Amino acid sequence: MSALDSNEIELDTARGTDVPSPARGRRRKNASLVRDTGAGYAFLSPWLLGFLLLTAFPMLASLYLAFTDYDLFRPPQWVGWENFQALFADRRFLTSARVTAVYVLVGTPIKLAAALAVAMLLNMKHRGQGGYRSVFYAPSLIGASVSVAIVWKAMFIDDGIVDRIQQFFGMEPGGWVGDPDRTMPMMILLAVWTFGAPMVIFLAGLKQVPAELYEAASVDGAGPVRKFLRITLPMLSPVLFFNLLLETINAFQVFSSAFIISGGTGGPADSTLFYTLYLYVKGFTQFDMGYASAMAWVLVVVVGLITAVLFRTSKGWVHYSGDSR
Amino acid sequence: MRITRKAVGTAAATASVALVLSACGGGGGTAEPGSGEELDTEAQATISMAWWGDDTRAALYEEAIDLFEEANPNITVQTQFQSWDDYWAARATEAAGGALPDVIQMDLSYLRQYGGTGQLLDLNEQIDVNLDTGGFDEALLEAGSIEGAQYGIPTSTNTLALFYNADLLDELGIEPPAEGYTWDDYDAWLKEASKAGAGKDPVIYGSADYSGTFWFFLQWLIQQGVEPFTADGQLGFDESHMTEWLERAQPLRDEGVLYPIAKTKQIEPLGGFTVSEAASEASWDNFLAGYVAETEQNIQMMPMPSGDGGPQQFWKPSMLLSASSKTEQPAAAAALIDFLVNDPEVGRIFGTSKGVPAIAAQRDAMDVEPGSIDEQVVAYEESVADAVTEPAPVPVEGFGAVEAEYKRLSEELQYGNIDVEQFVSDWFAFASSNVG
Repeated sequence: MSALDSNEIELDTARGTDVPSPARGRRRKNASLVRDTGAGYAFLSPWLLGFLLLTAFPMLASLYLAFTDYDLFRPPQWVGWENFQALFADRRFLTSARVTAVYVLVGTPIKLAAALAVAMLLNMKHRGQGGYRSVFYAPSLIGASVSVAIVWKAMFIDDGIVDRIQQFFGMEPGGWVGDPDRTMPMMILLAVWTFGAPMVIFLAGLKQVPAELYEAASVDGAGPVRKFLRITLPMLSPVLFFNLLLETINAFQVFSSAFIISGGTGGPADSTLFYTLYLYVKGFTQFDMGYASAMAWVLVVVVGLITAVLFRTSKGWVHYSGDSR
Repeated sequence: MRITRKAVGTAAATASVALVLSACGGGGGTAEPGSGEELDTEAQATISMAWWGDDTRAALYEEAIDLFEEANPNITVQTQFQSWDDYWAARATEAAGGALPDVIQMDLSYLRQYGGTGQLLDLNEQIDVNLDTGGFDEALLEAGSIEGAQYGIPTSTNTLALFYNADLLDELGIEPPAEGYTWDDYDAWLKEASKAGAGKDPVIYGSADYSGTFWFFLQWLIQQGVEPFTADGQLGFDESHMTEWLERAQPLRDEGVLYPIAKTKQIEPLGGFTVSEAASEASWDNFLAGYVAETEQNIQMMPMPSGDGGPQQFWKPSMLLSASSKTEQPAAAAALIDFLVNDPEVGRIFGTSKGVPAIAAQRDAMDVEPGSIDEQVVAYEESVADAVTEPAPVPVEGFGAVEAEYKRLSEELQYGNIDVEQFVSDWFAFASSNVG
């Protein structure tokens, strides 16, 4: 899990706890250093070009467009803060913000809990464990794809498998896709079902918890619940924090599943009008690209703020092994 | 059996005189007629073309374009197609980048958006050079022009129709609406149909909520003597019209006569009518082929419900072909458009699937066999020709967006999340910032 390791280093850096590397005072090596640097940039260039052309430039362009009235067909007109002011008078914008907030606040914790629970099951010594791990990871490989959204829709429509199970248990018949009150649970279920990525990271974290801690706790007479609360969770907290950050940011950006299930409209009755989906509708079906760009930047700022807040609170609950606390 | 289509053509000609009046006017940067260069049959040229539609239409287009490439061995056509929504999202992005395909299928609702903003080639420069428009009814051709610039060439025409499922009506034991029926008669008939269908499994409804389709509102406006859009591209109706229109279907919504929105949302892009759970549906007449294919039942057509002056229907160019103003091959693009609208063989290939062809030679080339879908559509257009008395409304810029917003608000209304008053105030607020 090199990705995880490097991440821990990043987290350490963020906390300012890593040891400064010894200064390289060897002037003789300067020439080779320059050569190395050149080679480094050369190897970096494909990524760097891609970053500059496909990420940095479009982002700057959208920052400019956010302050313009731009319909894709005519040159953009500078309008100052008008787009941003219009956002907060737009009922659909507020709806999309609410829909996304519910998805993030409810969906992310459930998804992480599911991922952790499965990771703990898969961490037990068990015959054929490797096979189970692959099987449980599989949904995540295909979870973001168009085909799964289509399958999901087929499962949750009238007379789909979910409807039949409901009827079997004597519940009220009817699919979820057409019911604005039940589309959000359906979308959250889809997200939870693709718990594979955080699960793998949890699993790697669990494997790094020293077995002696559990043995010592057993000797002291701790039960499984206490072991989980006092050993597993604290030891896992850096990984938990990492997953929480990643999944929160991902949840804000949910798009393709809602796009497919609602046919690109955010329906029924705007119940799946996720922030990014409304942004798309504004930009590409209502030709209001300036407004859509303003929305994008509001999202960037909000996600940035939430990330900052998470980092701030993490000091209270994330423990790094080796810390004296 | 051969059907004369004269009636159709004549009606189109007389009906669209007013269209000329409304579409003309103003001048501006239009191309000099016939100023384009003639197609060089020696030089190799590659052009691109895009259309919206399904796999069936794609197969027809490929067949037609193969013929074109055979006739013009120096031209290669690269094709792509998308569904309606994706099509316009993709074109908008390309337009922003100045990279529209050389030839694009165009709809009346987007003609102003693209033509009025300099994205489309004024085809006047190609007419009588590489593009023959001699066979067109003049008024129909005018529907593709804005302020004298010919931004689109109509391929075919259609008009609204009420479709009903005759097999389903037999099962319910009711008759279709009587000739000359009004909107009130239609409402009563819908109640009758849904009452008869209430005990069936699955339950049969009268129709989907017709008040939720913007074009039917426009049709109804015309019957009220209201011109939907003014010549200078503004709305010709106000809040009271829309309120009256939406209110008239409120009892139907309240009494469960209409196909439930929750069901529609689950089976989209199909609808209650296409899954044979609704007895009727109003739509464009070229939808017949799709309805028959989906339901595999006996689908019949009749004119729209009447206002005081009869159905007062209009012909609409069902689609147009346009060329990009940025094309490097205007001659080849015009040649392709020319081939697609004029070649008789192309008429045979498409039949009425895009509407009834605009050019007589294409109409005559269709395999109009008795009992075929094409025959039914052509017969319908002939029967309704006398009722087509109005010019087609010329959509305003932003039409596509306000039409989509109308549909969305109608869904909210059907779910009961908003009332008519809220609908109307939301829609007009949206329209004020998107029209023009």
